[in-house]
Amino acid sequence: MSLLELKNVSKIYGELKALDKVNIHVDQGEWVAIMGPSGSGKSTMMNIIGCMDKPTMGEVLLDGVDIARESSKKLTDIRRDKIGLVFQQFHMVNYLTAVENVMVSQYYHSMPDEKEALDALELVGLRERAHHLPSQLSGGEQQRVCVARALINHPELILADEPTGNLDEANENIVLSLFRQLHREGTTLIVVTHDPEVAEAAQRTIVLEHGRVAREVNNENFDPNAI
Amino acid sequence: MSRRKMFLRMITASLLRRRSRMLVALLSIAIGAAILSGLVTVYYDVPRQMQAEFRSYGANMLLVPAEGEKLSVEKAAEALHLIPSGQLVGQTPYRYVSVQMMRNQQTFVAAGTDFDQVRTTSPYFTVEGDYPSGARQILIGKAVADTIGAKTGSVVELSFHPQSTESTETAELKPGATLAGSAVGFNQNPVYVSFSLDEEMKIRDFTVDVSSQTEEYGGQCGEEFFTRQFTGASLPLTLGEDIDAVSGATITSTAVVEAVNGARPTENAAAVTGNTLNLQVTGVLETGGKEENYIFMSLDDLGVLTGEKDSIDVMELSVSAGAEELNSYVDALNEADNGVTARLVKRITNSETAVLDKLQALVFLVTAVVLLLTMICVSTTMMAVVTERRKEIGLRKALGASDGSIRTEFLGEGMFLGMLGGLLGALLGFGFAQIISVNVFGGSITLQPLLVPITMIVSMIISALSCMLPIKHAIAIDPALVLKGE
Repeated sequence: MSLLELKNVSKIYGELKALDKVNIHVDQGEWVAIMGPSGSGKSTMMNIIGCMDKPTMGEVLLDGVDIARESSKKLTDIRRDKIGLVFQQFHMVNYLTAVENVMVSQYYHSMPDEKEALDALELVGLRERAHHLPSQLSGGEQQRVCVARALINHPELILADEPTGNLDEANENIVLSLFRQLHREGTTLIVVTHDPEVAEAAQRTIVLEHGRVAREVNNENFDPNAI
Repeated sequence: MSRRKMFLRMITASLLRRRSRMLVALLSIAIGAAILSGLVTVYYDVPRQMQAEFRSYGANMLLVPAEGEKLSVEKAAEALHLIPSGQLVGQTPYRYVSVQMMRNQQTFVAAGTDFDQVRTTSPYFTVEGDYPSGARQILIGKAVADTIGAKTGSVVELSFHPQSTESTETAELKPGATLAGSAVGFNQNPVYVSFSLDEEMKIRDFTVDVSSQTEEYGGQCGEEFFTRQFTGASLPLTLGEDIDAVSGATITSTAVVEAVNGARPTENAAAVTGNTLNLQVTGVLETGGKEENYIFMSLDDLGVLTGEKDSIDVMELSVSAGAEELNSYVDALNEADNGVTARLVKRITNSETAVLDKLQALVFLVTAVVLLLTMICVSTTMMAVVTERRKEIGLRKALGASDGSIRTEFLGEGMFLGMLGGLLGALLGFGFAQIISVNVFGGSITLQPLLVPITMIVSMIISALSCMLPIKHAIAIDPALVLKGE
């Protein structure tokens, strides 16, 4: 069953076609990597899937709802309820502690619950660092807090934009193993990346070039039980 | 944890962990609030401060006898129980009587009073020498001093001639009677005459006092060539027929004739002489006003001189109160039916009200300007805060914050700042008002406890208003901002 389906989606900025009649679909529980060089339309696609932008043309079905037709207020609701975001720049509220940053996501979603937030930090191995400010955390630790924050509201889709782009190998592995765990638990993952190694961790890779889907590759070596 | 608790946790964290930035905003609010509360304190305290100041301009209320009544110091004091003693700065009795200077027969107004009280109701009196402190001592106006050539230390002899009273007014004129009269001459100044009637009811022993008239013209009415016309004449006299006017002094001439025609027998020969007292001048009074024409003495001395004690003509009061309060006292005094009538000295009370109104309007204007400046300052700071926190706002929106949430958070931060700034400002403002009060008015003020919450609420409202524009900008921030790798 498909969770996300893009049908003939185009995004046009004046002369520039950032996306040109893109068709993709992602099944419930699937792990998809999106690759492509700079300017290939990855960010535009991320913004559209993340309910932060609307296509010029085409349909974007998320859980059966065409988000291309929704008001921006409704898009905020959908993003909050269904999508967990992980960013390249980590992006934490710099005056809130790790656990408070996780709780911000709960606050906008429903009810802040410190215990649940601490459990999420436990999951990413940062229970001990829960009351540190972002400035006291390393880059890898910050990104793990972001993953905890993304999954705290049990979203149907986790959308990660270059999640390992600013991390060393050790931290990259930690983040990837977190993704594997989420995947095993049935969360749908879409990961935008430059890094072939990160792409290889996914079940399927969609390659964008000049705003079009250049090719789709199924990962023969995908190991659902890898750690 | 409830959403409200998390909300408070977020905004306090924002303020406490981003100290330097928020300190600027807090300081601008606190300074605005300080000036605001300080000026409001001054605004409400100015009337009280100025009332004390205004008392140096002299009496602002008068007590005069009610119709058909006589006023005495005791009666006035009794009536004045209606005014709280704390507000009654001074109460000075005055009794005015015409007296004659024995040396040159000139007539002056003698004012009997209480010198201790004079200092309170007329603090602007300037005395060269000293105020009288014992019996038989007087203070003379500068004009009097100049006229009679007296100075501090001089001894003058004053005598009192009783004015014609009602009983004698109707008395018939008889041969041998002694008569005295007066009339208003040039420049509203009086002329006095006295004479007797012989067996044939003709005038003899005619004297006239025209010293109040101009020396050049009216003064000639005192010359023999004019006065001799009266001797042997019969009443009533007609100017132009019985008496020729002095050329160039028609008004004075007319007044002298009127005085003669209106003259009434004096009670007895002794009363014409009246009492005579020797009094020592202790000081010369300079006021620039009508008081310079008076001779001031104690009520007791005036009593001895006139043979009549106790009665006074007017009680001057200096009451430290605003126009409204003064009016209420006047009404209360008049309604009490104590045989006294109270009146306001409009010249003083009106100018006090005008000065106060202007001062308050000025303070009000300054307050409005300060409020505006505070708003601009807070707004600018919040705008800088929004710009600085674009990323964070984008992140919050990406995490699902609605426009309403963003608005509430910034408004919450702004109002929290306003509350803290208001509290700080209210306390600073009290100090500020105290400094103004001590330096400008020379008195301290009391803290109005209600002003603290009011300042806090006003600061919160001002901060909330100042946040409107910055919040509009915050809401316009695109959540996609955070996805762009930078």
